[in-house]
Amino acid sequence: MQTLNRRQFLKLAGVASALAALPRAVGAATTPARVVVVGGGFGGATAAKYIRMWGDNVQVTLVDTNATHISCILSNLVMTGALSMSRITLGYSALKTNHGVNVLQGRAVAIDGAGNTVTVSTASGNRVLPYDHLVLSPGIDFIAPPAGAWDANLTPHAWQAGAQTTLLKNQLAAMRNGDLFVMTVPKSPYRCPPGPYERACVAADYLKRKGRVGAKVIVLDANASIQAEPVAFGEAFNVTHAGMIEYVPNATVQSVVSSTRSIVTSARTVNNAKVLNFIPNQKAGAIAAGLPLNAQGFVPVNPLTYGVAGYPNIHVIGDACAVPASDNKAVPKSGHMANSEAKVCADAIVRALAGEAPDDNVTTNSACYSPITARTASWLSANYNYGDIYDAAGNVKGKGMHRVDLGEADIIGGDNYEDMFTWADSLFADSFM
Amino acid sequence: MQHKLFLPIALALGLAVAGSAIAAPPAGRLLASQCAQCHGTNGNGPGFDELAGKSARELRDELLEMKYRGRVEGIMDRQAHGYNDAQIQLIADYLSAQPGGGGGD
Ligand SMILES: Cc1cc2nc3c(=O)[nH]c(=O)nc-3n(C[C@H](O)[C@H](O)[C@H](O)COP(=O)(O)OP(=O)(O)OC[C@H]3O[C@@H](n4cnc5c(N)ncnc54)[C@H](O)[C@@H]3O)c2cc1C
Ligand code: HEC
Repeated sequence: MQTLNRRQFLKLAGVASALAALPRAVGAATTPARVVVVGGGFGGATAAKYIRMWGDNVQVTLVDTNATHISCILSNLVMTGALSMSRITLGYSALKTNHGVNVLQGRAVAIDGAGNTVTVSTASGNRVLPYDHLVLSPGIDFIAPPAGAWDANLTPHAWQAGAQTTLLKNQLAAMRNGDLFVMTVPKSPYRCPPGPYERACVAADYLKRKGRVGAKVIVLDANASIQAEPVAFGEAFNVTHAGMIEYVPNATVQSVVSSTRSIVTSARTVNNAKVLNFIPNQKAGAIAAGLPLNAQGFVPVNPLTYGVAGYPNIHVIGDACAVPASDNKAVPKSGHMANSEAKVCADAIVRALAGEAPDDNVTTNSACYSPITARTASWLSANYNYGDIYDAAGNVKGKGMHRVDLGEADIIGGDNYEDMFTWADSLFADSFM
Repeated sequence: MQHKLFLPIALALGLAVAGSAIAAPPAGRLLASQCAQCHGTNGNGPGFDELAGKSARELRDELLEMKYRGRVEGIMDRQAHGYNDAQIQLIADYLSAQPGGGGGD
């Protein structure tokens, strides 16, 4: 869906920029500043909460298509039946009652960059919301395969949690002896680098526990190698789940026919799989698509404000944005990172409303706990600091978020499995409560 | 559109008002907020060890120990590597001033 009128948006942008570059008008003391946040996932919910917490009586409206957000985090455990859907369903009532966030259910369909308004399609018609700052955290959209007939209702991606997760769960449960579970890993950058490998592990573990003799998981990776936690997943594929998971790198998807669950890639063709979990390549959510995009379809942002070049009062955070980083040290698209970026953005907006420059002593971080079996998990941790960023040869190429630390668990253990829930509940609460 | 021409003047006045009315955010607040995904908003839970209200000295010493001791035992040791020493001091000072149960143990 491409509802934003790109030409008009861009044409009017110059005026908006000139105004937004200046601090708020004299009325600021009496008229509360208005911030609209589009997308109530990990990025948007956190931004709304922290702008309310840190701002001086800022009016914040959070817009989401759905009445609740269903978390992708832990959703692979809903696929296996270990957790219920309600365990990962996050509501907005605490943001309203604890923090005074206005919540509007509806889909943002158009942005007027010159008029500083966003149009939201709701059950009771269109609403036009004026803003002083607009934060977009719409997550991802999918890129259709180059050929074939793709239908996500027949071959669920389950890369946005909810109905898609249930579809995949039911298909996994229907597998019998000798059946194939075929899945793809999208071309990087994509949402949650360890996520597909985690899914392969818990699907294999499920089939093993159910005693499905000869059933197998085939992982068709569009990339040349495992994109996250290579040690943990290498061991999981080769040792823990040996014989259950077949890993195929360099598998660029050429065609998908969902009705027959068939897929052609540059490395392998599979016809009539029992389950085809085709996870497509990704780009920024549609509402951000009228903004300047990089070659991969994400919105480049300023890492001190998450502002967009030419649109200083429009901010993009989370999976939809592209943060300048050192070569081979990209900022991952994760819920933890979306939460982290939301705070930097919230702080910058609160300062901008007070006529202050953004802070440049800025850090972000990401963490993922990945279940490997029904009882064990590994983890990944990454930290970023604002400053010089480097090209592959080690030369400074500009300013951005430089990765100062990266590590993964050296033991895949049960303690990590318990810690995974402590972490998730902490992240859920910090974002939604 | 025309009235917008007057904005710069109004803004200059507005800035003066805002500048005196709104204090700068406390140092360390943004840095410390990056611990909250695992320790709760303002270090106050739910999550791993409660940080709010712990003494600044204890917080700083624990973080520096985890950062410099050489062996990495868990995810917290990794996270401690993500900050320079000055940032660690700012974070410790901010969290120690937050109301919470971290001072209890
Ligand atoms: C299987 C799986 C496992 C994962 N595990 C982890 C993990 O362990 N750790 C981790 O940190 N991350 C994990 N992730 C990644 C994480 O879910 C995403 O990175 C995170 O959700 C990104 O946050 P966001 O705010 O950018 O987008 P989202 O959280 O997707 O939120 C986007 C929201 O915007 C709404 N929206 C979109 N467009 C509009 C519009 N036009 N109008 C109104 N509303 C709109 C949507 O309804 C949605 O609620 C996992 C992902 C998957 C798929
Ligand atoms: C990815 C999750 C994560 C993040 C982010 C994180 N922590 Fe921790 N932290 C943990 C875990 C897990 C423990 C428990 C460690 C243990 O018991 O071995 C812990 C423990 C601690 C402790 C107690 C250490 C001890 O010696 O008992 C302190 C202090 C602490 N963290 C401070 C911080 C600060 C300050 C930040 C932000 C700069 C932070 N943490 C960010 C996960 C995290």
